[in-house]
Amino acid sequence: MTSNVSFLEFFIGRLPEVLNQTVRHLSITGTAVFIAIMIGVPLGILITRNRQVAKVILSVANVMQTIPSLAFFGLMIPFLGIGRPLAIFVLFLYALLPIIKNTYTGIQGVDDSLTEAGRGMGMTNAQLLTMVELPLALPVMMAGIRIAAVINIGTATIAALIGAQGLGSFIFRGISMGSNNLILTGAVPAAVLALTVDFILGRVEIWLTPKGMRK
Amino acid sequence: MIEFRKLTKSYDHKVNVVDQLDMVINDGELVVLIGESGCGKTTTMKMINRLIEPTSGEILVNGENVLAMNPIELRRNIGYVIQKVGLMPHMTVADNIELVAYLKKWDKKKRRQRSSELLDMVGLDPALYLDRYPHELSGGQQQRIGVARALAVNPDIILMDEPFSAVDPITREQLQEELIRLQDEVKKTIVFVTHDMDEALKLGDKIAVMKDGKIIQFDTPENILKNPINEFVEYFVGKDRLWKSPEMLFAQDIMHKRPTGVLADRTPAYALELMREKETEFLVVVDAPSDRPRHMLGVITPRELKGKGTVEKNKMRDLMRTNHPTVTERTNMVDVLSLMKTHHVRNIPVLGEEDGYFKGLITYGSIVNIITDAITEIESDEGKEVSHDQ
Ligand SMILES: Nc1ncnc2c1ncn2[C@@H]1O[C@H](COP(=O)(O)OP(=O)(O)OP(=O)(O)O)[C@@H](O)[C@H]1O
Ligand SMILES: [Mg+2]
Repeated sequence: MTSNVSFLEFFIGRLPEVLNQTVRHLSITGTAVFIAIMIGVPLGILITRNRQVAKVILSVANVMQTIPSLAFFGLMIPFLGIGRPLAIFVLFLYALLPIIKNTYTGIQGVDDSLTEAGRGMGMTNAQLLTMVELPLALPVMMAGIRIAAVINIGTATIAALIGAQGLGSFIFRGISMGSNNLILTGAVPAAVLALTVDFILGRVEIWLTPKGMRK
Repeated sequence: MIEFRKLTKSYDHKVNVVDQLDMVINDGELVVLIGESGCGKTTTMKMINRLIEPTSGEILVNGENVLAMNPIELRRNIGYVIQKVGLMPHMTVADNIELVAYLKKWDKKKRRQRSSELLDMVGLDPALYLDRYPHELSGGQQQRIGVARALAVNPDIILMDEPFSAVDPITREQLQEELIRLQDEVKKTIVFVTHDMDEALKLGDKIAVMKDGKIIQFDTPENILKNPINEFVEYFVGKDRLWKSPEMLFAQDIMHKRPTGVLADRTPAYALELMREKETEFLVVVDAPSDRPRHMLGVITPRELKGKGTVEKNKMRDLMRTNHPTVTERTNMVDVLSLMKTHHVRNIPVLGEEDGYFKGLITYGSIVNIITDAITEIESDEGKEVSHDQ
């Protein structure tokens, strides 16, 4: 009981710093996800045109996903040094798979009869993509982006270890100082942040679902 | 006009799924491609708008080689209706109908006007349906929109791949009726794929029966029914089909072709003798002997002869009844039967449609013959498996 009360006091005392790190946290993950969208979506579209290439790209992205994040950060230090760019780069790689995969499956999932009808009516490939495939795949793509964002918010706590700051810095300081309050000061906002982002992007997903397809 | 010249498609360079097709489809004709699953109907059709590229051969549309045209432009000028309808679920009915017009950069006002017009044409109220989404429509309504979409920019040619096979039988019948009505109005060149023979007979100006990528018989529905070129077509049409489609049976198919006539100047005694000899009570009075074309003047039955048998000066021309109903060779069986019923007659003379000559006679007997023929043919097939394999 007492520890709870003291955590609240502790937390409120550090509110400005918490807000500050939350913003950094968000900016690292936001940037990473943004770049992942910019690269993942076109890549996802591209591989729908060739099954072989799709297989290769998706398995490479899959393998990347299995490398433990800590190891990944370590492996990349020689190339990018420590700090924000490294954190963003690794988080970007993690965000890539769900985005590519969902773009790919979203477009693949568009009913064949629709692409056939579109083609039969004389749509060019570009028109088919922008008028049929993308609008219909958008909710699935958005779900991928949402997954990527939520995973990244969690993983980004580790980025504090390589000097990128963020909410993780409370956690690691807390661990080294043996302060539960400090650990919670990082962990609770990180969790709340993940839930909030998940909720908001969920809303966006519904909003992006074409009107004729909402149940 | 659409013309195939040795049109061939092969996926593996071994089997031709469409094999050296030669075919001419005239303007304003509705041609049905029919055959078992996998015989190449869809492939043939999709080569017309180049959704599938031929392996060899040519397709000419109005004399122009389709393979030399820009496929995108070509497709925008050919209507296309598919079995699964393929309406864009994220677009309203209006946007769906206007899709090709949009691709062709018609302005919005003209597009909207056209989509309202087309909705009317397929029997849906524009005020009610323009802004709906496809999932808010029944299957039958969806396919009506599919048809309207194909007509949007008023193409001369429309391709329809089993357009009505996904809806229930009652809706299918309605859609077929509507297509017939629509086709009367717009007179498009339509290539229609189906594997439902009833549908083919009902809709087709001509029917092409396909097997293994080849056209086995390309003919009018009537000829496909009555003169199937081989066992396969006969099997495919079904022996009982003619009987099931009485509107395809014409007076000339049912009638006795050598009916008994009696010359106008014969006496009653002669007529009575003739009736006895031919075992009939119905004579047609004619103006020439049977080896020459002759006109019907009237009819004689025992009723007209009653009490006149000995009066030699009465000739057939004085006694005959002239108000007896007749039909022409091309009157169909349904009409023949209803005529017999309304006039309470057992015999109907058949006259030439053009020349008006007396051609034959339909009697109860000839109708019974048709029925028994049909029944015995069906029965004789029940035991043996009809072979139609390659
Ligand atoms: N992409 C393809 N690759 C290889 N073979 C194909 C391909 N598409 C079609 N075929 C083959 O071509 C043949 C003709 O197919 P098609 O779709 O024209 O048949 P269909 O007459 O329309 O049949 P259904 O009534 O089932 O629609 C079939 O044997 C089919 O297996
Ligand atoms: Mg087919």
